[in-house]
Amino acid sequence: MKLVIDEGRCKGCNLCTMVCPYRIFQPGTILNRRGIVVPVLDRPERCTNCRLQKLHGRTLCGMCQMICPDQAVRWDEERLFERHRMAIEF
Amino acid sequence: MAVKLPKAGGTFIQMEDEIAGIAAVIGASWTGMRAMTATSGPGFSLMMENIGFAIMTETPCVIVNIQRGGPSTGQPTMAAQGDMLQCRFGSHGDYSIIALSPASVQEMYDLTAKAFDLADRFRVPVFLMADEIIGHMRERIEIPDAVPHGERRAADRGVLPFAAGPDDIPGFTTFGKGYRVHVTGLTHDERGYPATTSPKIHEDLVMRLVRKVEDRRHEIADYEVVNPDAEVIFVTYGAPARSVSQVLHDDADPRIGHLRLRLVWPFPDSAIRSFPDAKVFLVPELNLGQIAREIERHTTVEVRSLPKIGGDLHTPRELAEASGRCIAP
Amino acid sequence: MTFLEWFRADRLPHIYCTGCGNGTVINCTLSAVDELGWDPDRCVFISGIGCSSRAPGYIITDSLHTTHGRALAFATGVKMADPTLHVVVFTGDGDLAAIGGNHFIHACRRNIDLTVVCMNNQIYGMTGGQGSPTTPVGGISTTTPYGSAEPAFDLCALAVAAGANYVTRWTTYHVKELTKAVHAGLTHPGLSFIEVFVQCPTNYGRRNRFKQVSDQIEFLKTHSMIRQKAERIRGEGGQVKDGTIEIGEFVKRSRPAMGVVK
Repeated sequence: MKLVIDEGRCKGCNLCTMVCPYRIFQPGTILNRRGIVVPVLDRPERCTNCRLQKLHGRTLCGMCQMICPDQAVRWDEERLFERHRMAIEF
Repeated sequence: MAVKLPKAGGTFIQMEDEIAGIAAVIGASWTGMRAMTATSGPGFSLMMENIGFAIMTETPCVIVNIQRGGPSTGQPTMAAQGDMLQCRFGSHGDYSIIALSPASVQEMYDLTAKAFDLADRFRVPVFLMADEIIGHMRERIEIPDAVPHGERRAADRGVLPFAAGPDDIPGFTTFGKGYRVHVTGLTHDERGYPATTSPKIHEDLVMRLVRKVEDRRHEIADYEVVNPDAEVIFVTYGAPARSVSQVLHDDADPRIGHLRLRLVWPFPDSAIRSFPDAKVFLVPELNLGQIAREIERHTTVEVRSLPKIGGDLHTPRELAEASGRCIAP
Repeated sequence: MTFLEWFRADRLPHIYCTGCGNGTVINCTLSAVDELGWDPDRCVFISGIGCSSRAPGYIITDSLHTTHGRALAFATGVKMADPTLHVVVFTGDGDLAAIGGNHFIHACRRNIDLTVVCMNNQIYGMTGGQGSPTTPVGGISTTTPYGSAEPAFDLCALAVAAGANYVTRWTTYHVKELTKAVHAGLTHPGLSFIEVFVQCPTNYGRRNRFKQVSDQIEFLKTHSMIRQKAERIRGEGGQVKDGTIEIGEFVKRSRPAMGVVK
């Protein structure tokens, strides 16, 4: 699973940057086409939900998704053979 | 109703005020039930905002108003017909509704049943505009085994909830049946979603709300004509009709006619044309001439209002004198 | 099914301002409804007028967006006519406490089986930021430019006194607790009242020294205190600071309720 911010819905309130325990969400700097500064994702592969959602069969932390007033945060199914980085924590 | 309704499988609930009363009626109506409320004078004024909501959302419901003298608290339990224009124009904005006016206890029964049928058919609030005289009257009535009972037409699946066919009346999307409809008092498009900034959508919606009632005013017109060849015609609705009947009973003068409206709104202008030889219309009302003004709009013949307020009904003698003055010696 | 599937995707993004907490409250409510596995065809969301009351329009179920303050009266009609429907009312502080105050206390008194979620942003947000009955003393709004002089309404205390079966208060910072509270409210028979303190950055925050949305969330976080703790402090003779938002469960009881399917 991969963490995605829906740019069509995000209004740039930055509430997700407050609640993420891994500080994956960082305030953005670039205005997008709709004139909104969407937060950027810092190594989203660290998100527990990305790694363990399937294993546990439920949403684990999900604070960012719950607090997002604009329903812009979600976890998407990855495509087959999609390139992605792995982060191994020791 | 509190006694009879639970025994008949219905639900009776006494709300905290008239605003809540009409609100609960509208809520209940959306679950597919037939719902009504009853009030008098000031309570009717309180209901106005939600009546507008019922019109905008096309909610079938029945509102009984036993009219009393006003304005304000006025004369509790004295007769008046002062709310006839309020029921037609009281809520803000342009719209059209149906109002019935009974003149006897039997009609109170028959027209209530009819009101529910009209409400379900047109998806519009229907008013039963009685007055204190009819409201407190005791008369022998005949209760039939069954009354004509129309069904609310359900919306077809896959059709937008507020998309109307050629008859301008969309099918009803009952809550809990999987229509997943959004009902709002805001100007809405055919999906039911708010669309408040488009003049076109607002015009289409409001014109349809008016058209669905006004275009069928001849079809649903309900009136009684006595002596169509008469020259002097009494036009009445509600309690004054009884005095006029007495006048005609006492003196069967073929020059005096009587038009009794059972359905007042939408105004049946065709009824006025039932009297080709009319020289004058006399309109006895328990208000200062509310419906007389409406009749003036539809005829070139003289319309003479016979207003009476304060709670007393016109006596047959008063009316006989009034008609006598109009008949050439 | 996740709670995101309860939204009418064709209507998003919604009309709420950047950082408005109403979206969060809808997330939590829908998440609780989703956990219960209710059939969307058997749920009805009802609301009055205001920012909060636009919520049902974004939810796929049957929804009724009614007149100002009257949502509870409409909901009473729906629930009494068909008690098998799950009825949830979204309302705001102006809608519920000001114009709809009478309907609120009577719905609590009847203890009708509804779940009422009140998004309390302490202001009339939609109409330009007029002071509402819950604007705190000293709060700046367009109608209280020198600070509100009137004491604010404690809606939870009102609901408890009027007889609601389940009363609780949370803020938009406490999303998990709020979800649990809504879950409890939905399953508890009788009227469940869930008050949520919501940030209104556009009309309340910017006039009351909250430069960023996050400042207001930070305020909700630091100025809220679990009710039991506040009572313990008071019991020990201590003082709870003025302006503290007491959160948590106020009451959970089983008074006879109306509109419950037997």
